[in-house]
Amino acid sequence: MLIDFFAAVGDVLSSESTYINGALFAALLAFAATGEWVAERSGTLNISVEGMLLSGAFAGALGYHLAESVAVGLVFGAVGGLVIAAVQAEMSHRLTADQFVVGLTLNILIVGLTGFLDREIDPRADYASEVEIPILVDVPLFGKALFGEPWPFYLLYGLVPLSWWLVYRTRWGLELRAAGENPQSADVSGIDVNRRRRQSIYYAGLTSGLGGAYFLFARLATFDDSVIGGQGFIAIAAVIFGGWTLWGTMAGCVLFAGALSFQLSLQGLGYELNTELLQALPYLVTIGAMAIFARWVRPPAALARPFIRGLK
Amino acid sequence: MIDATTQLAGAGGSGPSVPVVELIGITKRFGGIVACDQVDLTLYRSRIHGILGENGAGKSTLMKVLIGLVLPDAGSIRIDGRPCTIHDPLAAAELGIAMVHQHFSLVDQLTVWENVALGEAGRLKSAGVRDRVAAISRQYGLEVDPDAQVGSLTAGLRQRVEIIKCLRRDPHILVFDEPTSVLTPEESEQLFDTLREVVAAEERAVVLVSHKLDEVLHATDEITIMRQGRIVDRRPTQEADVRSLARAMVGREVSLRSERAAFGLAEIEEADREPDGGGEDRQSAETTKSDEPALRIEGVMVKGRGGARLLDDISLDLGAGEIVGVAGVEGNGQRTLGDLLSSLVPLDAGRVVVNGEGVSTGSPGAMAKAGVAVIPEDRHDSGVVLDMTVAENLLMVDPHRAARHGVMDKRTVTGIAQQMIDEFDIGCSGPDAPLWSLSGGNQQRVVLARELAAEPDVLVAAQPTRGLDVGAIEYMTDRLRQTAIGGVAVLLISSELEEILELADRIVVMSRGRVVGELSRAEATLETLGLLMGGSAA
Amino acid sequence: MLYALSVAVALALSSVIVEATGGDWWPVVEALVDGSIKAPGRWGETLGVAAPLLLVALGTVISAKAGLINIGQEGQLLVGAAVAVYFSFLIGGPGPLNVVVLLLFGALGGAVWASLAGLLRFWRGVPEVLSTLLLVFVATQAVGYGLKWQWLLLADEASRGNRNLVSEQLATDNRIPRPDVFGNEFPVTAYVALALALAVAYVLARTVWGFRLRMLGHNPRAAQRSGVSSTTYGATALAIGGAFAGLAGAAMLAGGGFSFGNYRLVPGFSDNIGWTGLLVALMARERALPAVVAAFVFAGLRTGAGFVNSTGVESRITDVVQGLLVLALLVPPAVIFLRDRRRARAAATERV
Repeated sequence: MLIDFFAAVGDVLSSESTYINGALFAALLAFAATGEWVAERSGTLNISVEGMLLSGAFAGALGYHLAESVAVGLVFGAVGGLVIAAVQAEMSHRLTADQFVVGLTLNILIVGLTGFLDREIDPRADYASEVEIPILVDVPLFGKALFGEPWPFYLLYGLVPLSWWLVYRTRWGLELRAAGENPQSADVSGIDVNRRRRQSIYYAGLTSGLGGAYFLFARLATFDDSVIGGQGFIAIAAVIFGGWTLWGTMAGCVLFAGALSFQLSLQGLGYELNTELLQALPYLVTIGAMAIFARWVRPPAALARPFIRGLK
Repeated sequence: MIDATTQLAGAGGSGPSVPVVELIGITKRFGGIVACDQVDLTLYRSRIHGILGENGAGKSTLMKVLIGLVLPDAGSIRIDGRPCTIHDPLAAAELGIAMVHQHFSLVDQLTVWENVALGEAGRLKSAGVRDRVAAISRQYGLEVDPDAQVGSLTAGLRQRVEIIKCLRRDPHILVFDEPTSVLTPEESEQLFDTLREVVAAEERAVVLVSHKLDEVLHATDEITIMRQGRIVDRRPTQEADVRSLARAMVGREVSLRSERAAFGLAEIEEADREPDGGGEDRQSAETTKSDEPALRIEGVMVKGRGGARLLDDISLDLGAGEIVGVAGVEGNGQRTLGDLLSSLVPLDAGRVVVNGEGVSTGSPGAMAKAGVAVIPEDRHDSGVVLDMTVAENLLMVDPHRAARHGVMDKRTVTGIAQQMIDEFDIGCSGPDAPLWSLSGGNQQRVVLARELAAEPDVLVAAQPTRGLDVGAIEYMTDRLRQTAIGGVAVLLISSELEEILELADRIVVMSRGRVVGELSRAEATLETLGLLMGGSAA
Repeated sequence: MLYALSVAVALALSSVIVEATGGDWWPVVEALVDGSIKAPGRWGETLGVAAPLLLVALGTVISAKAGLINIGQEGQLLVGAAVAVYFSFLIGGPGPLNVVVLLLFGALGGAVWASLAGLLRFWRGVPEVLSTLLLVFVATQAVGYGLKWQWLLLADEASRGNRNLVSEQLATDNRIPRPDVFGNEFPVTAYVALALALAVAYVLARTVWGFRLRMLGHNPRAAQRSGVSSTTYGATALAIGGAFAGLAGAAMLAGGGFSFGNYRLVPGFSDNIGWTGLLVALMARERALPAVVAAFVFAGLRTGAGFVNSTGVESRITDVVQGLLVLALLVPPAVIFLRDRRRARAAATERV
């Protein structure tokens, strides 16, 4: 039994497709989690990231349908994410409506809306072409997964470091971090707290919209309202798991995507296993991490707390 | 320390040049209270100007007008002779006015240089900011590591960061609001040296807002004294001494009130307490001590975030029928003491004993159950629930009074509430009015009514008259006195000296979370108390 | 006034979406009305959906009153239904009694699931908003696992036929009765839910417990001072919230009607009733009696959706209408709040 298990693990780990699938899911999570991380650092627990991904995927399909171009599809996807971000940001950080009510409603609304529009319009998309980076792609096991992907994948190599740079090295990032940690002090220092928070939600919308469109072109090629299927929530889990650092978040994305692809590969190789446990793993690991590290790892001090001047 | 005043001729002693700031006829009202009443203030370059006054004298409001946080109802402002209006802090910054805030404007989780850069415009260049921080540090002797995380710094270092943050914007006018309230004496000393540097080096004008006599005497060139929204006196620092300043700060009206307290009502009170052995207050305290004290606080220590001692080895006995005043500059542990007696904080060391029984102070409702009623310092914090009705607020502590088998009877609730509304003359549209619809004074009466209805053995009144108008103050004062006459031990925590002098039989003075002095009312004068509070030995 | 305006905007926006995709708006509205109340037997159907929505919402109201943000009803409902069906078959017993057992275990299952979040909150300091959310997805997988194994929830081969992942079907006498009222059939749990709504409103408004719970939600420090333990009251409120969601799950299972798995537990059984119930509570601004109305409206949108297909417009439009309505109803209170703040601004600045 135990030997069987190790044999299975060995088979899976030596199969290139495990890594290719893993990279595919990890990229989806990374697109979403990067933006989500920025939003959470500024103080918003942005649960509409799920809706942003879905909206991005649909808008991507629509873009391709209209222009027959993956690039246009990606732009549409980004806009699709931004539309959701606009509602979330303006309602929760201008009108001071509860951010969870807005996020939850958006998630339900967008499943209905994309489902509705999908049947009415039925947009057709296609796979993005794969681009192989010479030499690197020949590295055994990892090569294809990291350097032989559909071309939108490579946007991540720019997006993640860019996000890090924006948050830690620019004035904008400094101000949004201040808004997430201590909005009162930031306000006294002359920073428009809610504006920074809105902007970081827009950023989350942009990256998540791109992520949704990427996933469509990399894996699916046709839209369906169940394509995202909770990956947005896994992205949230990854940010929490990562202790609100970007690299921790990325580690969470890789871990959670790895679990998913591990399970797919096992099935593909004909092994029986507990898929439910593996699918619940991201959430269980995150809950466990929170329970253990809650004392040491602090969320941004003002996470999920609205800021209204004059109120504590 | 006092003789230090004589050597301060001041850099600007060579005669006033052109005024850099002129505030003319500034008036600001909040509701019925006049925070500033026709205030004129003139500031000169190269001078440190002290503004002295008690809490609520209008100093802070005046400064908020200057930095654009408050718009005045009347009056005008001139900067360098030109009239201007200051809508917000950004406008003030553009005019070269900066304020070092009493409550820090720093973000703990960021580093020193990041905090200094916060609120500027343009590209963020960490090397540039770091260099500038280092340069300012060197120039003014404000050493601090630019890469340290602000949350890990001591209060003194944090203030340095705050000052650097201000200086980096190169302001002409620098306002310090109660800068030493969080500093140790040595740190304060260093701060004043820095102020001298700031003024001497670049012809800046500095305003030092304070209610500490000796530091104003020690560090300024000129002093303006405010009381109840008005300027009562101004004079060059050379011509001032600690006694005359104390008198001016606390003022004539107050001595009138104290006189009334001393010769009028107080006599009746003491006559009533004759069996207790009234007259000499020390004695009365000792007589009760030999019995069981109503409240005994023994060697109490409470640590705050990061291990700072908010209360440090406090011991205090409180006898039935006695009013003990706790005097002190705000922020010296009074709030924690109030919280402790409201079951809001657990102890790190020591004991709290009520009527001979130890109380576990952090568990919900423990103090109330033991018979300690509290009028909290900030009633919105733990005193009332704004979104509930007057009746519900009146029954908060003991809802079972109006309930049978856990169900509250509407008629009983209304009945009890109406009775309390009548007895305490609470102005409201009825028991079902939401609490937020009441004025501050009436909200305070709700608290008072509820706390007294519990028939407590001990009543803690923290800043009970803050923000109330004159009539409401009178009412509250009378009530507290009657409560003591009725045999309740009253702990009056207040930063208003006249209130304490008027009511208390015995006075303890708190500073930095410790009790630094204890006086009977006979021994206590404004000057002795003021000196103790200000950290000088009496 | 402001409400009417923003609802009108939401409806107008929905109509634009329909018209823009080539459909007709008015027939959609008619179909919604027909499907939810007008057509024969339909309002009974709507009540059958409204009942679990209301139950979920009532639980949400209770935990919200304690100042806790529970957003995990979907998972609590599912676990409740799973625990209910497991124990119903384990214990067996005569029909009516078994129904009671089933409902009780449903409530228990939901309560235990919500208490996990309570435990994490009060023991480890994990924000309940995060843990309740994450536990939804754990619940889905846990129940999915249960449906794979016969010793847990999976029906035996004879009964499940060629279907995978379904539980045993509840026997006819183990179901909640659906008496006929004026030609409409609905489970008696609708009455139970209504009665519970009245009970919750009464308990919150009139009992000492409810009074103290509200105090905790409004001002935790004042509550602590007055002897209300945030741990005891908070954990209890979370557990009760979960119990209501679990009860809703059990009631869906045994109440039949609509598309609730036809007396079997199936994958996707919870069918967004938990999420929607949460929205019902939020729309009712966390009050029990308005939740009754809101639950009926949201249920009507669901049952009405079944009739929308016949108009040639995709029925998913009802989710859109529902979402837009919720967003529209969020706007007026926010606007009023901001206006009040602006008036009070001067006083607030002084208090800093």
